[in-house]
Amino acid sequence: MSEAIWWAVARSEEISAEKPFNVDIGDQPIVLWRETDGTVRALEDRCPHRRAPLSLGCILGSGAIQCGYHGWTFDGESGQLVDIPNLKSERKYPPVYKAKPFGVHESAGFVRICLDAKAPPPADDGYALPLSGTSTVALEHGQYIAALFDDPSLLISIKGVRFSPYLLAELCEQEGQLVMERSCQWASPHWPAPFTSDFPISLRIATDPVTGESDLTLRDDEFNLLLQATLAPVPGARQVTQVRWRAMLSPERPGLAAKAMGLGAPLRVHDHIDGAALRVLKPSASIHADDLREKIAARTDQQDEVA
Amino acid sequence: MLEISDNPATSANDDPITSDPRQFSAKVNAWMPHEIMLTDAWFPLAHSFAVDKKPVRRAVYSQPFYLWRGSDGQVIAAENHPNDTLAGAKSEYTDESGHYPVLEKYGYVWGWLGTPENAAPEHVPSIPYLPEDGGLPLHMLGTVRFDCCAPLSLENLIDLTHADFIHADVVGDEKMDSETVEVFHDSETITMVRTCVNKSVAPIMKMFGGVRDDVQQVRQVIRIYLRSHAAIAYGRFSPGDNVQLFHPCVPETRDRTRLDYAMNTSNVKKSNLFRYIMPKASYKVSRQDSSMTSPQSPRYMRPEKRKDLHSPLDEAGQKYRVLMTALAERQARGDFAYRDDVSADCSDIIGYEKA
Ligand code: FES
Ligand SMILES: [Fe+2]
Repeated sequence: MSEAIWWAVARSEEISAEKPFNVDIGDQPIVLWRETDGTVRALEDRCPHRRAPLSLGCILGSGAIQCGYHGWTFDGESGQLVDIPNLKSERKYPPVYKAKPFGVHESAGFVRICLDAKAPPPADDGYALPLSGTSTVALEHGQYIAALFDDPSLLISIKGVRFSPYLLAELCEQEGQLVMERSCQWASPHWPAPFTSDFPISLRIATDPVTGESDLTLRDDEFNLLLQATLAPVPGARQVTQVRWRAMLSPERPGLAAKAMGLGAPLRVHDHIDGAALRVLKPSASIHADDLREKIAARTDQQDEVA
Repeated sequence: MLEISDNPATSANDDPITSDPRQFSAKVNAWMPHEIMLTDAWFPLAHSFAVDKKPVRRAVYSQPFYLWRGSDGQVIAAENHPNDTLAGAKSEYTDESGHYPVLEKYGYVWGWLGTPENAAPEHVPSIPYLPEDGGLPLHMLGTVRFDCCAPLSLENLIDLTHADFIHADVVGDEKMDSETVEVFHDSETITMVRTCVNKSVAPIMKMFGGVRDDVQQVRQVIRIYLRSHAAIAYGRFSPGDNVQLFHPCVPETRDRTRLDYAMNTSNVKKSNLFRYIMPKASYKVSRQDSSMTSPQSPRYMRPEKRKDLHSPLDEAGQKYRVLMTALAERQARGDFAYRDDVSADCSDIIGYEKA
């Protein structure tokens, strides 16, 4: 896993100044918290004293995090040890006395972490979509994204919408993202998808080739926006995938079925996956995704050599 | 400011706690608690009351110990269940009938894991405040389990600064005027004495022990018998009652620890609730410890490039690591001899005030 990747490991709402929050990127446990001025901090969730998780500790008024085991206290920005309460001394500790810090960036309602603390921050993402949630799924990150490409109905439900197996545009690369568009139907009784001439709605999925962070756009056949969402899958411990998402329903949605999307939750991200259905899911778009990723990677390597 | 005084063993000529600080810290940082397996030791496998006609199963490093009483009331410790007629080969730890050396002392059944011929009663640790023939009331005894490896549990115990944080609601927080830590050791034991001046009163003593003051003078002793993985935890509190805890950590498996404790509160007035409540505090305290030692344990299973960081308060824990490693290394070389006497009365060492 390359270091300069920004992973959306949390939603802004999940991080507070009251209680530290634990997430992981692969096998790397991370503790997140907010200082009183709102700044989010991220350190390795492992105290360098006796390896206890810092997320079991507490946040002091100074904004520093205190390990719950022996009280070692760390500065959030540098990870530097600032206090061992029982020593009752004002001493400064040598620079090696630190917990590992990570890069943090908060925008559009997501908290992103980069394992390289010195990586330049990513661009701001605009505003936060109002609906949001978190699901943790017992499926490996790469498999999760493959399933999103091959049949999103195994992972998500959009109120009143049935995903069809027919693509309007197969997976291709657009501005460094993997983009595809899928025909959808309303869930009302209708002519079966294989015999349908034209579909009333479509779902565009634009996915980061590395993180799998995906922007979903649902439109009707008059190009009206119905729903937009961001899905951020992050690889977690034991190969589970932690999915944070945010979404917004368009205020104007012509048509009865589209209006009905406002009743109840318009987007659900599943916690459980139907393993039997997943096993026999025909891989198609996901195979193209592998090819495209290779192409993108090769190009980046070339650029790196030139630079 | 913290003062540390060291009293190195004088007798042993190859004391593993060398004067070379670099060698010492190399040993501290090579700590692999899951790899340590000490034999030729008595392990306190069960409270005596827990063993009767029907065999109970205990283990040391997964090696099975079935314990029951014969018709004469004597405890038998066997490798196989008496009903297991198909029992296969037996280990080198038992005699021809598959029995381990076993004895009863201090209200415990002690099983010997090691070469049976080496089992000698003088290798049973000294526990000054437990009656030798047992008989403490049941409310002073209990069992708790730790989801971590036994040496980590003991390292946790011998380091008392952790108590100010995770047990603050039971034994009081870190606020005090000063603290002194002294560490003594020989090849079989390590003893830590922590003296605190004007420490916040333990809430449990305030609530149930009739202590009205806000601060108290505290002298806590932890003495670990390395091979038996068993510890004495003795605390003197003034004002307040002395706490007399026997705290074995039997390594039933390498990542799970069994603690059959005995907290002798017969020194506390019968009318004082503390006498009945304090032994039960172990249930709460052990969960608090477990909240840290359980996630810690897997992080010590594999060699780790990054060294643990230490403070001067960690002296006892560091020495415990080095002594345990040294014993394991000696055993790996085939040397199982006891160089120091563990059964000699340690009342003076721990500063035990007989009631
Ligand atoms: S493990 Fe964090 S302070 Fe000791
Ligand atoms: Fe403890």
